Amino acid sequence: MIRLATDVGGTFTDLVGYDELTGEVFTAKSLTTVDDQSRGVLQAIADAEQSDGLRRRDVTFFAHGGTTVINAITERKGVKTALVTTSGFRDVLEIGRGNRPDLYNLQFHSPEPFVPRHLRFEVRERIDAKGNVLTQLELDDLKPIIKTCLEEGVEAVAILFLHSYANPEHEALCADILADALPCATICASHEVSRQWREYERSNTVVLNAYVQPIIQYYFERLEEALTETDLTCPYYAMQSNGGIATFDQVVKSPLTLVESGPAGGVAGAARIGALLSETEVLSLDVGGTTAKCSLIKNSRPTLDSEYRLERSRINPGYAVQVPVVDIVEIGAGGGSIARIDQRGALSVGPESAGSMPGPACYGKGGSRPTISDALLTIGVFDPTTFANGTMPLDVEKARAAIEMLAVPLGMSIEDAALSVIEIAHANMINALKLVTVQRGHDPRDAAFVISGGAGPALAARLGRDLKVKSTVVPLHPGIFSAWGMLAAEPRADFRSTWFSPLTGDALTLAGDRFVVLEQDAADYFGKGHEAEIRFSYSIEARYRGQEHGVFTRYEPGDSEEAFSERFHAAHEKAYSFRLAHSAIEITMLHLEAILSGPVIAIPKLKGEVISVEEARCGTRDVYFGGTEGWVSCPVYARGRLRPHTTLQGPLIVEESTATTLVLAGQQLALTQEGIMIIREQDHSQSGAA
Amino acid sequence: MQAAAGGWVDPVTQEIIEGKLLATVDEMGIVMARTSMSPVIYEVLDFACGVLSAEGELVAQMNGITLFTGTFGAQVKALIARFGTNLEDGDILLTNDPYAGGTHACDFAIVKPIFFEGALFAYAINVAHYLDVGGSVPGSLAPNATSVFQEGLRLPGVKIARRDVFSDDILHIIRENVRLPEIALGDLTAQVATVRVAARRMGEIAEKYGASTVRAAFDHLLSASERLSRAAIAALADGTYHARDVIDGDGVSDAPIAVEVTVTIAGDSIVADFTGCPKAVAGPINCARGALESAVRTIVKALVGPQAPSNEGWFRPLSVVAPSGTIFTAEKPSPTGWYYEGSVHASELVWKALAPLMPARFSAGSYSSLCVVYISGRDAQGEPFIHIEPQHGGWGASETRDGANALIALTDGDTYNYSVEAIEARFPLIVKRYGLNVEGGTGAGRRRGGFGIIREYEIHGDGAEAYCSFGRTVTQPWGMAGGLAGTLNGLQVRCGVSGNTRTFGREPHIALGNGDVLRIVTGGGGGWGAPIERERHLIEQDLTDGLLSEAAARDTYGYQKELQQ
Repeated sequence: MIRLATDVGGTFTDLVGYDELTGEVFTAKSLTTVDDQSRGVLQAIADAEQSDGLRRRDVTFFAHGGTTVINAITERKGVKTALVTTSGFRDVLEIGRGNRPDLYNLQFHSPEPFVPRHLRFEVRERIDAKGNVLTQLELDDLKPIIKTCLEEGVEAVAILFLHSYANPEHEALCADILADALPCATICASHEVSRQWREYERSNTVVLNAYVQPIIQYYFERLEEALTETDLTCPYYAMQSNGGIATFDQVVKSPLTLVESGPAGGVAGAARIGALLSETEVLSLDVGGTTAKCSLIKNSRPTLDSEYRLERSRINPGYAVQVPVVDIVEIGAGGGSIARIDQRGALSVGPESAGSMPGPACYGKGGSRPTISDALLTIGVFDPTTFANGTMPLDVEKARAAIEMLAVPLGMSIEDAALSVIEIAHANMINALKLVTVQRGHDPRDAAFVISGGAGPALAARLGRDLKVKSTVVPLHPGIFSAWGMLAAEPRADFRSTWFSPLTGDALTLAGDRFVVLEQDAADYFGKGHEAEIRFSYSIEARYRGQEHGVFTRYEPGDSEEAFSERFHAAHEKAYSFRLAHSAIEITMLHLEAILSGPVIAIPKLKGEVISVEEARCGTRDVYFGGTEGWVSCPVYARGRLRPHTTLQGPLIVEESTATTLVLAGQQLALTQEGIMIIREQDHSQSGAA
Repeated sequence: MQAAAGGWVDPVTQEIIEGKLLATVDEMGIVMARTSMSPVIYEVLDFACGVLSAEGELVAQMNGITLFTGTFGAQVKALIARFGTNLEDGDILLTNDPYAGGTHACDFAIVKPIFFEGALFAYAINVAHYLDVGGSVPGSLAPNATSVFQEGLRLPGVKIARRDVFSDDILHIIRENVRLPEIALGDLTAQVATVRVAARRMGEIAEKYGASTVRAAFDHLLSASERLSRAAIAALADGTYHARDVIDGDGVSDAPIAVEVTVTIAGDSIVADFTGCPKAVAGPINCARGALESAVRTIVKALVGPQAPSNEGWFRPLSVVAPSGTIFTAEKPSPTGWYYEGSVHASELVWKALAPLMPARFSAGSYSSLCVVYISGRDAQGEPFIHIEPQHGGWGASETRDGANALIALTDGDTYNYSVEAIEARFPLIVKRYGLNVEGGTGAGRRRGGFGIIREYEIHGDGAEAYCSFGRTVTQPWGMAGGLAGTLNGLQVRCGVSGNTRTFGREPHIALGNGDVLRIVTGGGGGWGAPIERERHLIEQDLTDGLLSEAAARDTYGYQKELQQ
């Protein structure tokens, strides 16, 4: 009865396994194999067999997350793709939205489309916004297109017709004809991946889906084959961007749902921890080597980003895609982020990162520029000898030398310069965390703050204090938390469809009827028959008449207009600070979230001998807090030896193989019966003092 | 971290305060885009937010559009001059006066003085384009207006709230003087929400670091930007550089309007002198001094630090010289409704003068004009509608790369085109085509200009009308270094009954019947370098992509297909 998950990241492939009968835990970390990620996965499994005695025949559940899709896109390694679209609109994909976020750059260009102009074809057909056919699909127009696709060796064809979200019949007919005529190519019609309006966004979605589909299909077929060959046979799942899992067969049809697979694993894990602690609002932060990613879980469910864009930055509009992606704000602040004095004379941290090669200066692999990890080592939070279970000794002198490069121009001591680096990373993280909470109408004081990633727990206590969160939570296996989250995820699918209606008369009844159809789509998707227990959540995107952007509002079957309107007003007020009680309301979209109920990971209570707190203590270390406090002697504990319900007063340090947790003076650390660490302010009147 | 009171801030606190300033203006922008009632704001993002020092110097601005690059300081300084010490906590000010640092009457600026511990310590501003502010035509921008009094309600510096309570009188005046009062007041509510958010955030920063530290951080930020700006200018060759251009008509007359600039770079400062430009014209393409400053600053920012956050410091090395009462320094009552059609030429003059000095930062001339079209009428339910749309077009080539296709003009920025599906769901219009304007071509060159667009609207229903103001309908975008000039903008209307086509540039009224087709055409940008030097593979790629005809390849680029062996 082993549940097993592997998460392929940019540098490492993480593995976590858990035997629900015996309570055994298996972990492994291997280097990611860039050319074929499945080799790294098999290596990690082999490593776990060797080191932890993983029994692959006992694996009953296998979840896989990775970067195959996003890599294929960012490295432009998809297949040769064509686009068939409504006559008059072949350039929509290239024009995009025509915006120039890099406003003072007089040489700005929109991102290149994934289909060149000569492979973008037009056919005569037209449907209006209500779904009425204005012009029949002209089948003769397809003949020269098929000919060119064959000549050009096109491997995938995307189809986008205007208003196909309202009426997909032309797209479906076109897809059938092309599938017959081009049996070797992937054919993908936009309505199969998105039932949302906005032609550029939907075109780009279907194009990218087609662009990666053959590659992903090949990848999963090979991975499945390799797993089967090595006797790891069980249901195989992939981690999707929506925080749920899907079978390999399902994701191969719409691979774009895997675009943020890895980060979504972390969010799924944070949701599971929230459920265990009976916290419905969870703020999660995962601090990796290069970036920190934060996300909000509301009412026990991950929030989805309705305007997700690939490769977006302050100066790049990126590529819009209409697939459900958990709302993650990512900033360039991780353990390897480089600190420097910039041309303004200011100290800045990130987004440039030393990555894993050469890595921070303290890794001693040739890196010389100061990073957040070097700062944490310099002030004593990290132990040079016990880092990563002692497998990776850190070089304090190299770290100090790197930090000194900042200390000299800043006119500070090395310790104060290190503290300054952490201070700035901390401020950047607070800004991002506020973006997902305060700026979206949510109060962090209502949230449990789950922090993971290699460098996360070292920064957790201070971030939690400044945000005034209810509690700061360091989960199990914080350094491989995305993989752990995949173990905790359930099969999930999201169905969104654009539908306009004023909120009057029988609109909610009609919406209810439409949801019944979507429920049937969900049942078909899971393919488990009528017996399957599927949990549905319904939401409706609505807006005040005259507005463009809507607000997703929970809908309950049988809702009265009054009840739903009131919930909408409240949601609008929460998001945007005001309500227009007398304005008419319009519905723009329906969203059904479907989760297939099944066994979820049980988190065992800690077992083992009863030992005293003193026996869990493994030493004492001086940590530099600056200001009037200076160096403070802190007790160090081994996490594996701390027993349930232990409470300890900060300042203190807890070490484990993948992370180091710092607890501040004035804070209390408590362990749950599962061994999850909870940090709270001892005296609430002090919380927020910073 | 500690901060000294004596005007010095440690670099860590400085960095943190700057980060919070940017987070604050970004947050204002998010609130505005999501809460606005008006499509001009939520789709086109025709608004901007900023935070200024107590002296009215811009310290942070959201990344929105370039039109407001330099107007905030002038506007807030005009309000400081007007109100002096007569400001207290809870006041919110409103101004839309073009002659007091503003742009045109449609742009409502909401300004909140921010107090901390009883003292004024910063201002927050939000400027947004209102769908209608009254005046002679729906949308308030008559392309043939001859006086500001035809361009709607002006509220040149009034207190719209005292002690955080709205003035019912002023709301009443607005409600009774604009055509779509619900949208106007909705936008006003959204704007006020943003400046209140800014006041809260600034209060939090002052609470944490102390007001004197924050003020010192403002000073430091401005002087650091000034230093970088001066260094960039000092690296350019000293000298005097000229540029000339022609504005195609003012909306009242089609007569060409010749304009010019002299840019002088001396050491680490730069002067843009518009002496010699004609007096204010009869039509509304004039801009006032605030908009001129903004237009020049846009190009200076592009020169000295395009990606760095904007603030007043970058512009300290710049002086803008122009006599009063010209087309670029119009005074009351000259109309300024379509000021950006004039001010963009002030930008482009400076751009054209500086381009040869710094090819790494500049490109050849672009389609320039926002080519805004207003279509109004009644939908199938008999409800009135107005569809306002700036158009995207072709940009000029740079020394190393072909120009960009279909981008929004210089005056806007993070400005989206409208989704065809969203338009058809909302208005009685069917879009027949939206694509690159290949038939119109582009400026040829070793690097060619980018392509403009063609967008065709078929009108469904009777009694609709349109008006528009398109620049560059006669004078092409300029080429660089031997590159050819770009191509022209224009609006064509084909009658659904007769099939006749008429062409327009700046036009106050076009009656539209059922089945008429409005064809919006924007031009391609200018080329860079001689066409004959264009590499073979680039010509062939354009042929493959259907962007170039065989005839043009031969005639313009001297391209010969290789002979069969």
